[in-house]
Amino acid sequence: MICAGIDGGSRAIKIVLLDADTQQILASGACDQGIDHNALAAQLFDDLLQRLDLPRQAVAHIVATGYTRNGIRFADTTVTEITCHAVGVRRLMPHAMTIIEVGGQDSKLLRLDTNGFVRDFAMNDRCAAGTGRFLEVLATRLNTSLSALGDLAARSAHPASISSTCVVFAESEIIGLLASGTPCEDIVAGVQLAIAQRVAAMAGRELIDPIIFTGGVALVPGMRQAMEQAIAHPVTLPPHPQLTGALGAAILAAREVKVGS
Amino acid sequence: MNQPPAQITLHQWRQRYHDLCAAGLRQPPYGGPLQRHVADGDYRLLKLRFDNSPAALRLWNLLLTEESRLFAARDQGKNIIGTMKDLGTVPVMAYSLPNTIAFYPDGAWWVPCIMVKSTRDLSIADTHGIDESFCPVRAMLGAFITGQHFPPPDLLICSVGATCDDFSAIAQRLSSLGWPILWWEIPARRRPDPDEPAIHLPGLFHAPLSQVAFVKAELMRIRDALASVCGHPLDDAMLSEGIKAANRARRMLRQLRRLVFTAPRCPLPALELLIAEMLAIHYCSDREETLAVYQDLLHEVSRRISSNQGLFSPDAARIFWVNPVADLRAMNLLEDCGGRLCGTEFLFCHAIDEIPENVPPMDALAMMALADPMVGSASDRAERICHDASQLGAEAVLISRIPGASHCALEGGLFREMIQKRLGLPVLELEVPPLCDALEPALRTRIQALVESVSQRRAR
Repeated sequence: MICAGIDGGSRAIKIVLLDADTQQILASGACDQGIDHNALAAQLFDDLLQRLDLPRQAVAHIVATGYTRNGIRFADTTVTEITCHAVGVRRLMPHAMTIIEVGGQDSKLLRLDTNGFVRDFAMNDRCAAGTGRFLEVLATRLNTSLSALGDLAARSAHPASISSTCVVFAESEIIGLLASGTPCEDIVAGVQLAIAQRVAAMAGRELIDPIIFTGGVALVPGMRQAMEQAIAHPVTLPPHPQLTGALGAAILAAREVKVGS
Repeated sequence: MNQPPAQITLHQWRQRYHDLCAAGLRQPPYGGPLQRHVADGDYRLLKLRFDNSPAALRLWNLLLTEESRLFAARDQGKNIIGTMKDLGTVPVMAYSLPNTIAFYPDGAWWVPCIMVKSTRDLSIADTHGIDESFCPVRAMLGAFITGQHFPPPDLLICSVGATCDDFSAIAQRLSSLGWPILWWEIPARRRPDPDEPAIHLPGLFHAPLSQVAFVKAELMRIRDALASVCGHPLDDAMLSEGIKAANRARRMLRQLRRLVFTAPRCPLPALELLIAEMLAIHYCSDREETLAVYQDLLHEVSRRISSNQGLFSPDAARIFWVNPVADLRAMNLLEDCGGRLCGTEFLFCHAIDEIPENVPPMDALAMMALADPMVGSASDRAERICHDASQLGAEAVLISRIPGASHCALEGGLFREMIQKRLGLPVLELEVPPLCDALEPALRTRIQALVESVSQRRAR
């Protein structure tokens, strides 16, 4: 029996197809988010099924999660990304106690109990300074790509000091730094640290190891180190950090089928 | 006339009202169809879902006719007392006098929320230097200046000291604009020293006797001022009667809360319970009608419970809610997401506790004033929240915040820490702006995640 998890994020759609019996991931994929959430998710879903040479009817149950979850009409049910990330991360990293998820337009901190259930969470979706949006603004300003930012940051010896409180004002700071001749790599490293510091402020004092860093921003080279510096704790990346929400949704879909039967 | 309990839109209330009238609905003078309030500018009602009972209709009508009631009181020559920064003590004194009503000018903070910012109250406050960095109660300044929401009171009374700084600044600006204010001081409630004579206050608090004596002296000044303005002495016997009447309302509200919080199926939505609780502060300028509204609500809730009727799923997550919200839609959202109220601490829980009747009335009122959660420490408040949440079987706690209106910027963290340590419950802090439409998906995600946490814990 196959179950699917669809994570309709604000910047990307991620899908995992899971064999509910063996709990193996059969296929996964991601695409950019757009205006028609449902059509984009359906297109990616069909592409994955085609890869496996399966019809839609082969999927027993679909759980949608993420910012656009309610717009994915072919899903059977919805679950919040808070719960899905917790379930997905715990599957990949069974000892995880804290999850930091930084996506394109929001960031989250999840504290888990020893059973892996969400004990507490905090979210920032009001301020771009703690999200991947900051990196996008930076890439645009530096006329480079997101994927190139990591390499730039790796070359920095003296990260620039950037305000971590507001992306709009920080962009002005970046212009000022460029004008004053600050190397691009120091600016990139400074922005990465600023994002991490914003997340650290949301996290507060109570951080319990192991801390897992997920979400699309975790894929950006240099972000893990920036996060470790900001929260003063070691941070681990799971395999495929962008997919943990979709994986959690697929696992929950399988559980729902099991409970239903 | 009785239909199964449900939440219905304003549009659906139009038909429901028609059916109720056809079935012989008896209404008070302020009764009428709910949608007429939209014509008066209360546009937010269009976005809400309401309980479908006649009792709820009466509750809403009492709330939404307060402005006209105040202007009518002025025409009738009643004494009108504005009791600012006071959640339930000075109104008890004012209502003890004949031909006198009290109202709560601070309540104007709600006007731009209900009227969807269609009033000029906030922009007027802006022009007087009270901008959006202040608490939304700054709308009160605009309300005084326009005179559209209430008539000029005969006496304005305001507490200072251990009250919020924002409000003190706004009230001082009001004073500087020519509104005379009788100020009285409420000290920060402190824990008694080991050898210091102390007294237990309602609401699990205690305080030094010297603080009660100080507050009593302050309230004596208010008593004299009330008597002078109203042209009638205010003696202990009158105050005792006033306290008894207040306690009647408080007992009814406590009974209503107990029924709503403990019924297996929720018999009244969160929105209506919030409004009912708010009446306890100042009776919406009509104490007798508040009693009648409570009576109707109690009757309806009891009827629903006895006939095993209720709203929402019997499995709804039991949520204890801390602090009031500016946008009433948030209360609907809780139930949309699979939750129900099982307890509340809307910052004025002392207005629900009974006033002691076994001590002299001025002492009793001083004790109540000191039991205000806002004049004590955040940890005192956290203690009470933990106590009540535990007693009421809460499965999670939701702490809401109004932007710019925190009485203690760090209190949410402190509540969270104590609740998790003592009760081990999931806690959600939620910032709800005055109009949350654009943020609704984000708020929904948070509340839904809290409800999912409860489900997971149950499964475990």
